[in-house]
Amino acid sequence: MGNLLLVSPDRTSLASLEKVIRQKKGFKIHWAKSGSSALAAVQKNAYVLAVVDEDLGDMTGLELVRRFIAVNPMLNCAIVSGLEHKAFHEASEGLGILIQLPVQPGEQDAVALLQHLNRILNLTNSLANKTGDQD
Amino acid sequence: MENGRIAIPSNGEGGLDGQRSGHFGHCDVFTFIDVEDGTIKNITTLPNPDHVQGGCMIPVNLLAEHKVNALIVGGIGMRPLMGFREVGIKVYHDAERPDIRPVVEDLISGKLPIIADNQVCGGSGGGMGPA
Repeated sequence: MGNLLLVSPDRTSLASLEKVIRQKKGFKIHWAKSGSSALAAVQKNAYVLAVVDEDLGDMTGLELVRRFIAVNPMLNCAIVSGLEHKAFHEASEGLGILIQLPVQPGEQDAVALLQHLNRILNLTNSLANKTGDQD
Repeated sequence: MENGRIAIPSNGEGGLDGQRSGHFGHCDVFTFIDVEDGTIKNITTLPNPDHVQGGCMIPVNLLAEHKVNALIVGGIGMRPLMGFREVGIKVYHDAERPDIRPVVEDLISGKLPIIADNQVCGGSGGGMGPA
């Protein structure tokens, strides 16, 4: 399905998520340890999804997603956040984030994330096919 | 605007005499206005796919595939705005008037402003009231 970028200064934070993704075929996982290194990676490579931890050391996860948009608005993003739902919604409005993940996301969170990503990708592909039929 | 296709997020069935949707991502249909030599030549509508959290690039791709050149919004989030810029669709802004016709006429006559970065709303909701 493509390249997937995990962004966290602490790999253990996203370890359960990584474990589930590795069990799925088709994803190639890349890691970035900071916001700045993730930005550099997105400028060079194409990713189907970025999963961003809450605090990256050099910037917050939300700040990184804002910067991603300027580089590649087509990039799908999921983010770890301890904010309660309403506060997260307000903080992330307009950023088009796929899903809010809890701190230390577990395997069920990973499954939900991949299901949601598949839904988005299927809708996009379906749209492309329909449009192709019309043309 | 002399030539091109304008898209307007619309409520209900849309159309030139319809109402705009204040909520870009959740509009019922997109009204397409085809302009030739500065006059309206054709009006069509296209249903908006169901909104999915994080799926704001779906309508961006939809409008790009349908050869839209300009979009008029009451409000839009940063990610879809940047997406429209990425695919070459100009995004114009009017947060006051709920009717489609006057904003289309203003765009054609060059009176409607391009949206500025600081006019991006927190989300995809607009300034024209409820979605």
